[in-house]
Amino acid sequence: MRVSTPHMGHVYIPFKAIFKRLGVEFIMPPINTQRTLSLGARYSPEGLCIPFKMTLGNLIEAADMGANTLLIPGGDGICRLGYYGKVQEQVLHNLGYDTEVIQIGVSEQKFRSLMSIIRKVSGDAPWYRIISAIRFGLSKLASVDRVERVVQKVRPVELVKGTANQLYSHAISAIDKADDYDTLKRVEVDYINQLERVPRDKQVQPLIVGITGEFYVLLEPFSSFDIEQELGRMGVEVRRSTFVSEWTKFSFFLNPFGINEKKRIHRAARPYLKRDIGGDGWESVGEKVLHAEEYDGIVHLAPFTCMPEIIAQNIMLSTREKIPVLTVLCDEQIAKAGVLTRLEAFVDLLIRKRRAHSGRAQGAAA
Amino acid sequence: METYLGIDVGSVTTKLAVLDEHDELVNHVYLLTQGRPIDMIQEGLRETRKQLPADCDVCGVSTTGSARYLAGVIVGADLVKNEITAHAVAALHYFPDVRTIIEIGGQDSKITIVRDGIVTDFAMNTVCAAGTGSFLDHQALRLDMSIEELSQRALASSAPVRIAGRCTVFAESDMVHKQQMGHRVEDILYGLCQALVRNYLSNVGLGKDIQPPIIFQGGVAFNQSIIRALQEELGMEIIVPPHHEIMGAIGAALLVHEEMATGGSSSQFKGFDQSEVKYRTSSFECKACPNNCEVARLSLNGKALAHWGGRCDMWERVAAIP
Repeated sequence: MRVSTPHMGHVYIPFKAIFKRLGVEFIMPPINTQRTLSLGARYSPEGLCIPFKMTLGNLIEAADMGANTLLIPGGDGICRLGYYGKVQEQVLHNLGYDTEVIQIGVSEQKFRSLMSIIRKVSGDAPWYRIISAIRFGLSKLASVDRVERVVQKVRPVELVKGTANQLYSHAISAIDKADDYDTLKRVEVDYINQLERVPRDKQVQPLIVGITGEFYVLLEPFSSFDIEQELGRMGVEVRRSTFVSEWTKFSFFLNPFGINEKKRIHRAARPYLKRDIGGDGWESVGEKVLHAEEYDGIVHLAPFTCMPEIIAQNIMLSTREKIPVLTVLCDEQIAKAGVLTRLEAFVDLLIRKRRAHSGRAQGAAA
Repeated sequence: METYLGIDVGSVTTKLAVLDEHDELVNHVYLLTQGRPIDMIQEGLRETRKQLPADCDVCGVSTTGSARYLAGVIVGADLVKNEITAHAVAALHYFPDVRTIIEIGGQDSKITIVRDGIVTDFAMNTVCAAGTGSFLDHQALRLDMSIEELSQRALASSAPVRIAGRCTVFAESDMVHKQQMGHRVEDILYGLCQALVRNYLSNVGLGKDIQPPIIFQGGVAFNQSIIRALQEELGMEIIVPPHHEIMGAIGAALLVHEEMATGGSSSQFKGFDQSEVKYRTSSFECKACPNNCEVARLSLNGKALAHWGGRCDMWERVAAIP
């Protein structure tokens, strides 16, 4: 069996690790590029969102490389993404690929669903081996995310622009290669130390911008114009609460015991939105309200035609908490140059606002 | 005399403005870009040199507009700024108590909300350019009249016709249809202006707290019938500043004045002689990875000065090597 799965940020790392430990051949499609997107867009219905198009591109590339079992997230109650697995399977069959498509349930009993799928794919490997493999995969994921959090802090203040990104990409490949817990830990600590030692401009107090919005575009930089890197380059520190390792921690292990990490966000959103509207719309609204005091501004990422985020966008426009929000639509038809112009103007707005604010505070003190 | 030069190279027009040390407008040039930004920047420099008093010393240059990076390399800009910020700064300079800035240019339209002299919110058209200057241009061309004539004739409308304005292609179909039904051209034209304004307010202006004083700037502010339609739709007075079409360039000059005052370094301006240098632009598809980015190159005497358009900074680094 030759297994593959679409890309979303660095989730290929845990998948690769899990299947390696279980002796299953894992086909990693090429990392996301324009080719992936063009390929996916060509065979996608025009009105579907960029997560569909990108992941379809991955699946086609994986099938071309010989993958015969494709794992796709699916399930009900999310948004229309829940149907994407089925539609993509149909598209692949129409294109003449004889691949089996297995949906990983991401709505209910996620961990059980993942375990049983991996068991099936691994040819009924014993449970203890499956659990140990998943545990190692998740450790890698957690390492990647811990390094990324440091990268987010270093990018805006590094003296030589691009240093953090370079270290980050080295760290990713080292984590990917690590074969045991010891190596993994060592690599993680080593790179975090290196990142901490990157020469920084100690004078600047970077602007803080929260990034919120739809899960996939938040986590797949290619689909959202590498917006975190671009903000970092403009000297802005990015805060994001969505990380895959956090998501797995809660939805695999803690949510079943009634611990809901989103309660706080939902409570914050409640004056404006009382219920889940699919996707991550409820969370987008909540994040704005929750962090209005703490952040200078919020960048809201939404796939073009994403209904939950469109609803969220319109609610975010008119909450009492007045923090500037820039909604960036992600779509294959949108040029990066235009996005950067808006982003630059947004950052200017935040800088001038902060300057005026501190000027006023000084005036009051004098 | 100390002067500051702002250059705004937009999709349709190229604007240059020179301010003195008291931020008074000394001179300005307004040209059609005609898809030849480099030629027009050079033409603009030539014109500016001709019109400027002899004792002028350029102490700072800033570029803005969609070709701001290209223009920045050519003139040796001290500051490269996006047009959203430049427009807001210029409007605030002339009207410190402005609360809303409406700006409609050749291919983009934006709204900026200002409170107590600080920009608090803005929006710019994203996925669609319906309702910008280019569309009006195109319709004027189709009806075989100048854009000025379109503006004047639409004002004569007494019973405007409702035009479907969500999509410019369908708007055109609708206009053709209304013409064939026998409506007066004046009424169709004003209907078109109203459609453009409705489109602007429901897309770019969506959810924005539009409050007076309202400044209307950008090339489309030349159009009297658009001003009338905006006034009718909003029920508020619309102020069009005297130099509304060069506000981006003025804003850029103001910004570089501010920058040079705080920075203390001297200007990188390459001088007006740049208008005589032969630049070449070319583009190629980078094959370093499957992204196949379209990279644009600006070169002088066979030497690359700058690259744009890559997803990564590989080509930018190449250009940085002298």
